[in-house]
Amino acid sequence: MTQANLLSPPSNIPPQTALALSQKAPLILSSSPTSSLPWPLSLLVSRETPETWTVHENLFFSALRTGDENSALALLQRLEARFGDHSERIITLRGIYNEATSKSDADLEKVFDAYEKILRDDPTNMSIRKRRVAVLKALGRPADAITAVTVLLQHSPTDAEAWAEASELYASMAAWGQAIYAAEEVLLITPNAWSAHAHIATLHYLSTASNNPPNLSSLALSLKHFCRSVELNDSYLRGFYGLKLITSKLNGVLSDSASAPNKRTTQDDDDIPVPSIETVKKLEEIATSKLAEMVRQFKSGKKGWQGYDEAEVIAARELLDRDGKTER
Amino acid sequence: MAALGTVLNGVGALFLTHAVYSTHEHTATFATTPLPLDISLELLTSILLLSLGIVISFAPLKPIQYAQWAGQISREGRHGEGRYTREGEEILSEGDPYAFLGLDSGIGGKGEGRRGFWDVKGKRKEYEEWVRDGGKQ
Repeated sequence: MTQANLLSPPSNIPPQTALALSQKAPLILSSSPTSSLPWPLSLLVSRETPETWTVHENLFFSALRTGDENSALALLQRLEARFGDHSERIITLRGIYNEATSKSDADLEKVFDAYEKILRDDPTNMSIRKRRVAVLKALGRPADAITAVTVLLQHSPTDAEAWAEASELYASMAAWGQAIYAAEEVLLITPNAWSAHAHIATLHYLSTASNNPPNLSSLALSLKHFCRSVELNDSYLRGFYGLKLITSKLNGVLSDSASAPNKRTTQDDDDIPVPSIETVKKLEEIATSKLAEMVRQFKSGKKGWQGYDEAEVIAARELLDRDGKTER
Repeated sequence: MAALGTVLNGVGALFLTHAVYSTHEHTATFATTPLPLDISLELLTSILLLSLGIVISFAPLKPIQYAQWAGQISREGRHGEGRYTREGEEILSEGDPYAFLGLDSGIGGKGEGRRGFWDVKGKRKEYEEWVRDGGKQ
C-alpha cells in the first residue's frame, strides 16, 4: 500500500518508493506554476494551487534522499522565489539542503554552527531548533540531542511532536522512565491518539521485557494502554498485536503467581491494580479473534481491508501461529 | 443509487418549476380566488421528491463513533477518490490525523519519523545502501 503519492506521502517510505517519488521531478520541474508576467496580470494566469507547494516540498525531500541534488536545488529556488528567503519554513528547507549535501561530519558541524547563528538572530525559530536536534542525532550524539530537545520543550511545552521525539530519543538510550514520562506528555496534548497509547504501552512493556520475573505493574500498565488504544480504534492492528502479546505474557505470570500467592502481594506495592486472570483470558480471546479476522480479510484481498502494512500483517500471523503451536 | 437520486431530483425540480409557474399564472389571472388544490399538491409532491432525491444521492456518511471512524481509517488506508491536482497527484482520502506524531513505526522503526526532525542523513544512507545492494525489494 505504498503508492508514490507526492501530495500525501505514506508514513513509511522504503527506498523504492522514494525513487518512484523523486522520478517525478522532471515532470514537475518542466512547467513553472507561477507566471512570469508583471503583477496584476500574473494573478489572472497563475496556475498555482495550495497543493502545488505541498507537492514541491515533498518532492524536494525525496529528491534529497535519492541524491538528486540538482532537482532539489531547483525546487528550493522555486520555493524561495515564491515565499522569500526570510520565511521560517524556507530557512529550514535551505538548512535541510545544506545538511544533505554536506560530505563529512565537519561539514555537518558547519551547518550546525549556521543554525546557531540563525538562532542568535531569531531565537523563536522553532523549526531550526528542531533541525539542531536532527543534526545532533545524525552526528551520533544522542545525549546532546536530548539536551537540545529538552531546551526546546522548556520554551514550548505544548509541542506534541517534540515530546514524541524526546520519548523516542530516551527510548533509544534505554532510559525507559524518561521515555514514558515524555510519552505521557504527548498523551496530555493529544489524549485521543491511538498511536501514542500504543507507543506508551510498548515502552512499559520494553521497560520490563528484560526482567525476570517481569514487573507485574509495568505489564498491567502496558495492558491498560493497549486496551485504550483499541478502544479508540477498533481495527488497530498494532494495538491488538500488543494486547495479544501482553495477555499471553500476563497469563503465564499470573498462573505462576497463583500457585504462590504470597509472592504476588509483595510485588504490587504500587497502586496499579493487577487484572484478574479471567479478565486477561477474555482479553486474549478478543485480541486473537480480532487479529485472525484482520489477517484473513487482508489475505483474501477484500476491499476495505487493504489499509494495513503487509509486514505488520505477516508479523500478526506469525504471532498467531506461534500461539497456536504452544497451545497444542 | 446515484442514478435514482438524479432521476428523483430531476422529476422533483420539474414539478417544482411547474407548480411555481402555475401559481404565478393563477395569481396573475384570478388575483382574489384561493389557490386550487392541485397546485398545492403538486408543490408538496415536488418537495417530497426533491428531499428524497437529495438524501439518496448524498455521499456515504462517516461513522459518528470515534473508534469506528478510526477503525475505518486503519482498515481502508488512504485511497484515491478520482480527483487529481494539477501536477497529476491523486488527492487521497482522510488519513491518520495523528501521523504527525510519527509514533506508528514503533521504537527504532524505519518509518519517516516526525516531519520537523526528519533525519535526512539517515535516509540518504539507507537509500545509498539499497542502491549498492542492487536496488531490489
